[in-house]
Amino acid sequence: MTLSFLDRDRTIAPPGYNRFLVPPAALAVHLSIGQAYAFSTFNLPLTRLIGNGESAPDDWTLAQVGWIFSIAIVFLGLSAALFGRWMERVGPRRAMFTAALCFGSGFMVSAVGIHLHQLWLLYLGYGVLGGCGLGIGYISPVSTLIKWFPDRPGMATGMAIMGFGGGALIAAPLSLVLMDHFKTATSEGVLQTFIVMGVIYFIFMMIGAYVVRVPASDWKPANWVPPAQPHKLVTTANVHVDVAWRTPQFWLLWGVLCMNVTAGIGVLSQASPMIQEIFGGRVTVAAAAGFVGLLSLFNMAGRFFWASTSDYIGRRNTYMVFFLLGILLYWLAPILGRLGSVSMYVAAFAIIISMYGGGFATIPAYLRDVFGTMHVGAIHGRLLTAWSVAGVLGPVLVNYIREYQIASGIPKAQAYSTTLHIMCGLLFLGFLCNLAMRAVNSRYYYREPALGELDTVRTRS
Amino acid sequence: MKARLIILWLIVGLPLLWGIARTLANSMKLFL
Repeated sequence: MTLSFLDRDRTIAPPGYNRFLVPPAALAVHLSIGQAYAFSTFNLPLTRLIGNGESAPDDWTLAQVGWIFSIAIVFLGLSAALFGRWMERVGPRRAMFTAALCFGSGFMVSAVGIHLHQLWLLYLGYGVLGGCGLGIGYISPVSTLIKWFPDRPGMATGMAIMGFGGGALIAAPLSLVLMDHFKTATSEGVLQTFIVMGVIYFIFMMIGAYVVRVPASDWKPANWVPPAQPHKLVTTANVHVDVAWRTPQFWLLWGVLCMNVTAGIGVLSQASPMIQEIFGGRVTVAAAAGFVGLLSLFNMAGRFFWASTSDYIGRRNTYMVFFLLGILLYWLAPILGRLGSVSMYVAAFAIIISMYGGGFATIPAYLRDVFGTMHVGAIHGRLLTAWSVAGVLGPVLVNYIREYQIASGIPKAQAYSTTLHIMCGLLFLGFLCNLAMRAVNSRYYYREPALGELDTVRTRS
Repeated sequence: MKARLIILWLIVGLPLLWGIARTLANSMKLFL
């Protein structure tokens, strides 16, 4: 079976195709893989599979189960970086199909692992296979959307990447509803939930793969004329992915993304205990869970809002806002905590997390501006390694510094102040990286090989 | 094409709205 319907040639849109069909196709994929943010809903039930309701000595520990998500995020970064060029060559439909297969089968292999109580099968299933599905799925619609929306690249990619933030809003209650439905006197219902979610997500992602189309090479939006004098950072040329990562601009943007994500992810990972400890006793566990939910909403909304805004004020200015406003808000947060203003504190972190999401959603359009559209998906894939680094750096910074502070005798309510001030420092580093951004030197531009060079290549091969 | 567009947006939009509504309902506990 050749699966030729997945070929790039078969996905070229016919004349009259409505380009607004592509964002929901991308959303179908991103809403599915965004489930990863809600994986923690399975953590406790996975530690009670043998004990059934409480952890037995032979049950897995929380630390062991925690590795499943960490492995998935590492493989997200690795697969996005490794499969980016392949994705550009084969097109979005085959990439989305592969992502659906990996993500869906990741759940199935994990379900077998739960049935046999073999943890390594969950590491392999959700961690490795699922992680590859996350990485390939994340980058699969990006360059296609940028090609469909040359007039609004920020809005288009923001809409898709918003789905990754929104996926958790669906997955968290869905997992709880399913586990509740399948729970019996002898089972936590996790096995059946994994199977059902694997099937649902595979189908949902396949809807995206079926609908997605690439524009014809000469297509452009009706009545749209490319600006005669684009902004000085915006190029009309292209940079090859293998050349792009050797430019200073790639590493400056890597720094921009890494610093923005480190600051945000550190807070997200500790949001619930942080608000409870800072407002000692005034914020209950249930209210803290509400705070986490609210942050998820702003994480999602910020992706669309900031990426769309960047189409009007420019990518560089958008990140300037993230860093400068971020520094101000992180600096103010401990003061708001001391003043005892819960609503002001929540508002500050809602804006901070909206900019964390906005950082993810605006970066593809920034890459398009700097490196052109030719390999933007593959370059984006390589840049996502910054996410993997930030995913470790952010929580480690917050956790270890907090523990050190408490061990030094500082009250719990004040233990986060130093961490939040360190976050200001990280954001300042990101600000400097963004400030240093200049247009790529024209010597890095991609040029079609001349006819003579092609002949030489053919003769050699 | 228009019907296809509406159906597709409903397929992705309805689960998202359901998730947003559930999350908002939980978030209210912060202020109540």
